[in-house]
Amino acid sequence: MTDTTQEAPTNKVITSSFLQKAVAFVVLIILLAFFSIFAPNFAAWSNMVNIMQATAVNGVLGVAVTFVIISGGIDLSVGTMMTLTAVISGLILTNLGMPLPVGIAGAIAFGGFMGSLSGVAVAKLKIPPFIATLGMMQIARGLALVFSGAKPIYFNSTPNYGLLSPESSISLLIPGLEMPNSVFIMFGVAILASIVLNRSILGRYIFALGSNEEAARLSGVVVDKWKIITYGISGMICGVAGLLVSSRLNSAQPALGLGYELDAIAAVVIGGTSLAGGRGTVMGTIIGAFIMSVLTNGLRVMGVQEEWKIVVTGLIIIVAVYIDIVLRKQS
Amino acid sequence: MKKTLLVAALGATTAFSAPAFAEDVYFPIIAKGFSHQFWQAVKLGAENAAAANGVTITFEGPNTEAEIDKQTDILNAAIAKKPQGLGFAALDSQAQVPALKKAADAGIPIVAFDSGVDSDIPLTTCTTDNLAAAAGAAKGLAEAIGGEGEVAAVIHDQTSATGIGRRDGFLNEIAANYPNITIVDVQYANDALKAADTIKTIMQAHPNLKGIFASNEGAAIGLAVAIKETGAQIAGVGFDSGKTQKDAILDGSLIGSITQNPVGIGECVVDSLAKAIKGETLPPVIDTGFYWYDASNMNEANIAAVLYD
Amino acid sequence: MSIAAESNKGSVLIEAQGIDKAFPGVKALSQAQIKVHAGEVVALMGENGAGKSTLMKILTGVYQPDAGTVSVGGKPVTLPDPRTAQALGIGIIHQELFLMNDLTAAQNIYIGREPRKAFGMFVDEDRMNADAAKIFARMKVDIDPKVEVGKLTVARQQLVEIAKALSYNSKILIMDEPTSALNEAEVAHLFAIIDDLKAQGVGIVYITHKMDEVKRIADDIVIMRDGQYIDTLPAATTTIGEVISAMVGRDLIDTSRAHGQGSDEIALKVTNLNAGRAVQNVNFTLNKGEILGFAGLMGAGRTEVARAIFGADPVDSGRIEVHGKAVDIKSPRDAVQLGIAYLSEDRKHFGLVTGMSVRDNITMPSWERFTSNGVFMRDADLGSIAKEYVEKLKVKTPTVDQETRLLSGGNQQKVVIAKWLLRDCDILIFDEPTRGIDIGAKAEIYKLLQGLADEGKAIIVISSELPEVLKLSHRIVVMCEGRITGELEGKTATQEAIMTLATQRVEAAE
Repeated sequence: MTDTTQEAPTNKVITSSFLQKAVAFVVLIILLAFFSIFAPNFAAWSNMVNIMQATAVNGVLGVAVTFVIISGGIDLSVGTMMTLTAVISGLILTNLGMPLPVGIAGAIAFGGFMGSLSGVAVAKLKIPPFIATLGMMQIARGLALVFSGAKPIYFNSTPNYGLLSPESSISLLIPGLEMPNSVFIMFGVAILASIVLNRSILGRYIFALGSNEEAARLSGVVVDKWKIITYGISGMICGVAGLLVSSRLNSAQPALGLGYELDAIAAVVIGGTSLAGGRGTVMGTIIGAFIMSVLTNGLRVMGVQEEWKIVVTGLIIIVAVYIDIVLRKQS
Repeated sequence: MKKTLLVAALGATTAFSAPAFAEDVYFPIIAKGFSHQFWQAVKLGAENAAAANGVTITFEGPNTEAEIDKQTDILNAAIAKKPQGLGFAALDSQAQVPALKKAADAGIPIVAFDSGVDSDIPLTTCTTDNLAAAAGAAKGLAEAIGGEGEVAAVIHDQTSATGIGRRDGFLNEIAANYPNITIVDVQYANDALKAADTIKTIMQAHPNLKGIFASNEGAAIGLAVAIKETGAQIAGVGFDSGKTQKDAILDGSLIGSITQNPVGIGECVVDSLAKAIKGETLPPVIDTGFYWYDASNMNEANIAAVLYD
Repeated sequence: MSIAAESNKGSVLIEAQGIDKAFPGVKALSQAQIKVHAGEVVALMGENGAGKSTLMKILTGVYQPDAGTVSVGGKPVTLPDPRTAQALGIGIIHQELFLMNDLTAAQNIYIGREPRKAFGMFVDEDRMNADAAKIFARMKVDIDPKVEVGKLTVARQQLVEIAKALSYNSKILIMDEPTSALNEAEVAHLFAIIDDLKAQGVGIVYITHKMDEVKRIADDIVIMRDGQYIDTLPAATTTIGEVISAMVGRDLIDTSRAHGQGSDEIALKVTNLNAGRAVQNVNFTLNKGEILGFAGLMGAGRTEVARAIFGADPVDSGRIEVHGKAVDIKSPRDAVQLGIAYLSEDRKHFGLVTGMSVRDNITMPSWERFTSNGVFMRDADLGSIAKEYVEKLKVKTPTVDQETRLLSGGNQQKVVIAKWLLRDCDILIFDEPTRGIDIGAKAEIYKLLQGLADEGKAIIVISSELPEVLKLSHRIVVMCEGRITGELEGKTATQEAIMTLATQRVEAAE
């Protein structure tokens, strides 16, 4: 053992996270195959489009939480933050009558601002992330109701807004291909997030913080700054989700969003990201989000009772994490 | 052309009689929520009636309709203030009876609204008969599809009295009067986004679907979104109002909807309480009624008055 | 086997023979063996990675051997889990303590098997405390069974661990580096307890890197190397050199003091530094090319001085000059930018991000210099520069992509050194640079430190091992209770002189 020679590289972290992602992917394929056989009308292309569209919001929120979880934290505010940013875009576009790009940028920027406030609470005030973001979850929910006057805000004065998410712009390029923009936006966010996590210095710091914050600090890393940025990015991605959901409903619904954070965290966990931090992938989260919506869709198409669908989703979470534990033991 | 199917006798005709209370009279009104449009309309009616009767009211509710415990806290706090009367929309028809009993023992008259309480404590209950209203939705949907074919329902909640009442009212009406209509699926979705995805899945599973009933505003928004996104030739019927739903009815995505009379409910609560402390007797239930509305009658005064954006 | 007086020993308590154990990609043990008699202390020695812990994990039922036999009291046994091993009287005291700080000593000792009363509904605390008191009495220690473990010193916590092992009626006790966190007096007390246990017929396997301890308490020394049994030597007649050459397979220890010449140029000047109660009015200078030793007992405040200078803990008052300029260090980042590095004794928690690769650890303080446009990491460059340092410092790792947690202690320390060298740090503060590092690697680390000083780096070495301080230091600063009590010339200093200063308590008067 001491006498280690120059052998082939055996980076076990890469192997195990790759394995976990592969496991999640295999589970996804098995689910697709299962429902294709046993659920009539499931395998149609139009249904695949439905599933992808239904995944978009949870997938994007999952990406937001993935950042924070890898950094060693947790973000419970993503659901209501999504709603708050949707309300903000409504205020900008409908109440202030500003042009569409301002609304989009404003929602994302506001999400980033609110997220970085969570980051300040965690980094500077040393409040545990669970508590800080639990507080932010309520703050965002309350502000969404206050800003909207507890009424939905409609985007009728900005007719293009309602097209952002559900429209299939790809059809202009490839006639005949119907795929809502929200699906491309989700994959776009995921790819961008993947690049940031794996290639950028921010990503490297996020992994370092999640693995061993104190060692990073003693290496001269300005831990607080990177933490605040991490939560800020989570907030910005929530802004994207806010745009997706409000565009699809052509209205900002201020009461929506509670409970979405748990679905997002479930997607992250199923995708093999460790809640302990320091380990995880964005693509795993997207696969996790797909597993959840395939399950929901497939069981519905099969006519399984809603109640049982919830039970099965819970089982899948536990099984996925168990596989993760088994894989980690082996490495 | 369908007109109002049923308009129950409005027990809540606002009294213009001069206020006749010597002291300041205060009624806390406790709803099931406050952020929803529906409750805002109830609040409006209650405030109107309060002004007319010369009484003060407060209007409160928990954040979500799942927070039974929080509503109980609000109730206890209200009782502690020793008001002259109390309006209460119970989230749970049984769990909060003990708290109400305390109020009744303290001599505080109680009027229930929206959904009832399994107890004889409330002097009366101002409510929509959900069974009847959902049956109205079933009739509208059945007529639109010519009395035959497959239909489905998306219900906003599995456990609440309104969810159960509207589901059963719809299903019973179809089963009793439309033998050629098959109910192929009943699903649950508690917000607009989830409802949209759920409904698209139902459409996927049942390609021959002719119509769908959505049991509240959120579900109806989801229904409108799903029909628009798929372009499916499906008759959609909603419940309650809201701008999205009204627009969808105007542009033909939905064929019509049922509205309760939330303004009337609010008026009924405060009026009934005012009557109670004057010693008048009240009927055990006051049905505040419902309306069928579609593109043809939405702008009629009596309908427009109870619809909200 | 080179033991003459086999007949004088007690009965064989435990014997393992022909033990093989492989993990994916690694053959951890090959034909390993060990034998412990009643009333005997067997020192188990070997470099890190020699297979000592793996063998002990097999004896305590944590791992299952691929081949070989374990017999207890002459009867072959299988040890499928730790409970079975405990039931057979095999106890272990881990190097890292596994105690629950908020529970009392007695609760810790009897955790999971508390005596019950009232039909098993309640814990019989009285009986539990009485039983624990009995064990402490047998060990001749005065720990209150009702005291919360978190309020005890590390040394006394260790005694609670020993009591816990004894409470299983252990006949065989395995101690894994039990003195690594103890001072001299505490070590002496521990050895007295070990002598008592020997007299009571307990057999002890004692894992350590410290030769002087072995000479004091061991009867036999079992040497392992690369997963194999090498030899059993009688402790009384074996020299340190013989043990070390058996361990590393070559003669290498150089106990001579090798002092180059430090320069007169001051790299770091600390004046009237105060930080909490642990650092009081500390003054010293550190020259370029010099190794300044910091000696003292545990808790003398040496680590606290280092952390205060490094910006890891807040400073109350004082002046710090780096290369002649007064500086204000508020965070580790400030210190790093001034070229100051702190290498903690606790590498796993403070030195390395063990879940990340050698490459990422070596380059972490320098990441910002390896980006394009300040955003994206130039991973290829990181890899090649890390490789350069791996080769320069002779870090043994298959590739720079290896996770650092899989490296041995010595190689982990080299990775930590590499990261600060790459960051151009020229003031290096080492806190116990060889803790947990086996002897072969120690010599390498010493050579590395001397080489760095010769290159002109200014180095502080905080060490509790006096021979280490004496071997390395040009000058030695001695601390006691938060104050510097004296300074010695490295060439002429003696262990006695250091200990005198280290125990010289300054009374409250200024």
